Amino acid sequence: MRFVIVGAGRVGLRTARALEDSGHAVVLIERDPTKVDRAKAEGYDVIEGDASDETVLLSADLHDANALGALTGDLSTNFVACMVAKHHGCRTVLRIDEEYREEIYRKYASDVDEVIYPERLGAIVAKNALLGGNIRAVADIAQNLQLVELTVTNDSPMRGYTLSELELPANTELLAFGKKGDALTIPDDDVSMEVGDSLAILADFEKLADVRQLVVGEAVAARGGA
Amino acid sequence: MVRAYVMVKAHSGDAERLRDEILDVDGVEDAYIVAGDVDFIATVSVDETADVKAVSATHIQSLDGIEDTQTYVAMD
Repeated sequence: MRFVIVGAGRVGLRTARALEDSGHAVVLIERDPTKVDRAKAEGYDVIEGDASDETVLLSADLHDANALGALTGDLSTNFVACMVAKHHGCRTVLRIDEEYREEIYRKYASDVDEVIYPERLGAIVAKNALLGGNIRAVADIAQNLQLVELTVTNDSPMRGYTLSELELPANTELLAFGKKGDALTIPDDDVSMEVGDSLAILADFEKLADVRQLVVGEAVAARGGA
Repeated sequence: MVRAYVMVKAHSGDAERLRDEILDVDGVEDAYIVAGDVDFIATVSVDETADVKAVSATHIQSLDGIEDTQTYVAMD
């Protein structure tokens, strides 16, 4: 696929890298000459200019792009870029600069398909690092729904049991399972849970503590959210 | 009659409530939720220039969830 990324700063450049690593074509739009040079030196296709100017955006062949990510630190630029891109048939992703705005733009910005707040993901990573160990918050899926990855420990009440014997609380769902050191795969009912194995579980915040107790074996109450 | 435009920055995502509360302030004619550096723009219409300050600084700023306001008085 082909993507247009507005902003070659920390967020935009990393996103471009991740997309290219997955085999997609990316063109960046950046107005700061220093950042343009840096991105070009790293081999990216960069258009120098202000993305709130429609002619600059159009020079990125929007009609030919699958989606546009407006990822600068400037909300007005991001919003205008999304409006223009939507008009040209792109899917649009808007970066917001303050957490409270997430709700407002989800609700009112009809030209924006997705709203992202990178600091939220940074906070999840930081929280996991601080907690260490056997429970890792992967993402907040919805307001009350979190995807967590849990590791079976010696204290786990379910250690030695098979996945078909695992009885999770209501409003939780086992999505993937991985033997120690292996990648996660679709769960197989006959596989048993041993120390170091991982379970990816989708759970309501209120059930997180129960799930953790069951799989990890810690009595400590898990706290939802990042 | 004095007309002014008040740019309002919030710190709450409760946009609809805030817009309604801004609209309820005496002297406010209209209020819009907008995209960009500010979250609302209100149009104010009052008798005297001094009243503009009361509307923006005193009333709008004291609403729960409002961080800051910037006021522009129309000259022509």
